[in-house]
Amino acid sequence: MACAVEAVIRALAEPRRRRILTLVAAEELPAGEIAAHFEVTRPAISQHLGVLKEAGLVTERRDGRRRLYQARPEGLDELRSFLESFWDERLERLKLAAEQEERRKARGRRST
Amino acid sequence: MAVDQRSAIEREIRVEARPETVFEFFTDPEKMTRWMGREAEIDPRPGGAYRIDIVGHVAVGEYVEIDPPQRVVFTWGWEGGGRLVGPGATIVEVTFEPDAGGTIVRFVHRDLPEDQVAPHAHGWDHYLPRLAVAAGGGDPGPDNGPGGS
Repeated sequence: MACAVEAVIRALAEPRRRRILTLVAAEELPAGEIAAHFEVTRPAISQHLGVLKEAGLVTERRDGRRRLYQARPEGLDELRSFLESFWDERLERLKLAAEQEERRKARGRRST
Repeated sequence: MAVDQRSAIEREIRVEARPETVFEFFTDPEKMTRWMGREAEIDPRPGGAYRIDIVGHVAVGEYVEIDPPQRVVFTWGWEGGGRLVGPGATIVEVTFEPDAGGTIVRFVHRDLPEDQVAPHAHGWDHYLPRLAVAAGGGDPGPDNGPGGS
């Protein structure tokens, strides 16, 4: 899970990849059409699409010789679950640590 | 309905410690690392910055409000995360309510209002700021992600 989340974060850290996601958020597009929106080379865009696919943020579909891409919002839902678990665990640790600290303070008060 | 519900994480937890005690765990670096991260630099005043090393990933932000022992608000993001997933992308609000010798801690983590995040907030853009937080726990280690301890 942690690795999947890292892949998503890395994928989204790159501005072009975020732009690609917004392009394919509403409709499925062929790689060539996506590349036409950018100044960089087609292989560079293919590489970005590969990273997004690995991260589970887009789906890839073959249609004859074309490859079509569409955003996969579930990729972000997984992050949402991760985030919730992250805070649940942190808050549980907070509870334990604060209660321990309170007991320590209480012992201090009794001994003075 | 989905958008608002999905954009915030809300939790409520009762702690058997007084609000003053719990509050310190959000403003004292030594206490902070007892529940989050392995190293923390903290400037606990409004506008003051914090930096918490969570096993290689670094959570950064600024305190927005500090009202001991009732309420603390801080922004939350990921160092190197860029405009959308970086520092200041999301906000955490925590309130502490006395409850029979203990404290009810209410925790809310949400995106900043859209006008502060992006001038032309797109559906995807709306989700992106949340990543800042996930980044904080994305590595295994002493302070690791879900299910790790």
